Amino acid sequence: MSPEIGELVAALPDGFDEEKAPDEALQTLLSSLANKPVPVGRLTRFWALGSLKAKIALAYMAWWLRSGYVSGDKRAATLNETHLKSAIKLLGTMSYLRGSIMKIGQTLANYPDVVPDEFVDTLSALHFEAPPMHFSLLREQVRNELGRDPEEIFDEFETKAFAAASLGQVHRARLKTGQEVAVKIQYPNIARTIRDDFKNFNALLLPMRLTKDWDNFRAQGEDIFETLELETDYVNEAECLKAAREAFNEDDGVVVPEVFEEFSSGRVLTMEFIEGKHVDEFMATNPPQEVRDRHGHQIFMAISRLYYGLKIVYADPHPGNFYFMEDGRLGLIDFGCCYRFTDETWKYCANVERASHGPIDSEAMDAALLYSVDLTDEAQMGEERLGLLRDYCTWMWEPMQEDAPFDFGDPEYLRRGMQLYGDMIRKRYTRSQPINTWLARSFVGARAMAYRLRAKFNLKAILDTETSVK
Amino acid sequence: MRITAKAKEETRERITESARKLFTDKGFDETTTRDIASEAGIATGTLFNYYPSKEALAMSLVAASLDAGRLDFEARRRGDESLEEDLISHIMTGLRRLQPHRGYVGAVMETAMSPFAKTGLCDDADRTREEHLERVTDLTASHGLGGAPPFVVMHLYWTLYLGVLAFWSRDASDKQEETLAVLDHSLRLFVASLKTGHTKVEVNHVT
Ligand SMILES: Nc1ncnc2c1ncn2[C@@H]1O[C@H](COP(=O)(O)OP(=O)(O)OP(=O)(O)O)[C@@H](O)[C@H]1O
Repeated sequence: MSPEIGELVAALPDGFDEEKAPDEALQTLLSSLANKPVPVGRLTRFWALGSLKAKIALAYMAWWLRSGYVSGDKRAATLNETHLKSAIKLLGTMSYLRGSIMKIGQTLANYPDVVPDEFVDTLSALHFEAPPMHFSLLREQVRNELGRDPEEIFDEFETKAFAAASLGQVHRARLKTGQEVAVKIQYPNIARTIRDDFKNFNALLLPMRLTKDWDNFRAQGEDIFETLELETDYVNEAECLKAAREAFNEDDGVVVPEVFEEFSSGRVLTMEFIEGKHVDEFMATNPPQEVRDRHGHQIFMAISRLYYGLKIVYADPHPGNFYFMEDGRLGLIDFGCCYRFTDETWKYCANVERASHGPIDSEAMDAALLYSVDLTDEAQMGEERLGLLRDYCTWMWEPMQEDAPFDFGDPEYLRRGMQLYGDMIRKRYTRSQPINTWLARSFVGARAMAYRLRAKFNLKAILDTETSVK
Repeated sequence: MRITAKAKEETRERITESARKLFTDKGFDETTTRDIASEAGIATGTLFNYYPSKEALAMSLVAASLDAGRLDFEARRRGDESLEEDLISHIMTGLRRLQPHRGYVGAVMETAMSPFAKTGLCDDADRTREEHLERVTDLTASHGLGGAPPFVVMHLYWTLYLGVLAFWSRDASDKQEETLAVLDHSLRLFVASLKTGHTKVEVNHVT
């Protein structure tokens, strides 16, 4: 049962100044959150907002909200300020959602229109934090889900988590067969909490529905919500893992962990343990250029294989999800955030394909761009915006122009992309098809990875091979 | 005719078994003491020699489950648990044993175990509460939190415990996972109050 909006607003944190503009109010809210002691009350559970990542999440969320009405006329905008403020206040209370606020933050951090210069670093900053689920609680959760205690199911089970997941934590264990596994366990009830929060959140946003871009805005919000919902369901993730695992053979040098279904459920995911290094650790060993190139190649090959072969967008390519293995293979984990194409979105992407392969076909590019922002003619879009999007596409497609290795380690290349993103933020071009969110997360995230590897490889060759395999 | 202690024990068992069956099949509310007596093959009047009311009878079923739960708890203990861990297991092992009675445990708790209930109303209820609280006291002491916690703190504990039970009995979430979250939160609150030595509860004014 979700509480009444009135109750929610009444229970919001102090230090929120109604008189100030939302941006300023947000700043005040953030600083008051940082110093707030652990509250005890009906609407507050686990206080996680003192942390940097949560603040970043809030900031993104607020930005996203604000962008929803900037294009509306002045009067509507003033009217909406109040609701926006309420929504921001609500976010303050959502902090008790240990995991899901992080999740929202991550989702938005990858939002194509919301990208600060520190994009790459931010992505990493949103991960890796020790979660506080103690073993007894976790054991009860496992028992709920699998019917038995971890001690009974596994030959050995490490009581301390070795990694944080956004909605829970990951433990190392060994099956009775001797197989080493990673067991991802979700904090109880987090999925329902997310659902309730979004209901409240949407209710607060309702008055904004008169603004021009409302439908589009709402569609994007719903898309985020649906993805969150999917991500809370480990059965869905297990299915993606299985499909992905089958898409690669030994020569590919890509490993997707095997799922052990007998020991998995909607809230517990038991999978093969992948032994390897994350990118920072890997780079610290000073790996030779050819090894880095091969890994860069593997990353793009894997993402393209999933894309063309399975029609799945690997939408969360953050550094924690790539393991560089001792034997030179790439370990690919975390299939919680996969976007599956519908026929319609696939058709749209096929248009983009036509435009991006070989020398850029500017007519096809413009058509794809119009579709991508959910508009029908160029006049609606405006010359300036069209120009910016063209530049962005050109940047994106640049590495596939020539049949030769492209230097993804070139800081100039990455910087240019980030600059374009920044411009899009400043102009507040937020109207977009939901699919773009996932495509951008995937493609930009992968480029950022290749940059961190300082890798050089032939992207065109990869795409030519993968599109012909199908 | 004198009835032997053994015969008496057998009758008592027949009654509890019949009650367990009827509560499960028919539901607690739909079952009358007459139904139970006839299922057990005794006169309704005889039943009252054993149990003063349907609630008291249910309470003895609940108490038996909680006893079994406590054994589970001791058996699963490793010994290196934190206080929060011990407390959550202590309660959860009980809840798991109580699962078959979830539908009516609320009614029973209300009459027999609430802080407002008169002591002496039902022996099983009094014993259950005492044993439960004793174990909690031992646990807190064994975690180095001094002797017996102050009365107020134990009262807070018992209120939280009954609150969790009540919540659990109506928890509509899948596998009652929401109870687990509520329990975790409640126990953190309790342990925090033990550690600070006093309970400071912010009141949320909801208008
Ligand atoms: N199969 C595995 N082998 C080794 N480590 C793993 C495995 N699965 C997960 N991990 C570790 O646990 C971390 C979190 O797992 P995962 O990314 O699947 O969780 P998540 O809920 O999707 O979290 P996030 O959204 O933060 O990525 C990973 O970054 C990794 O360090």
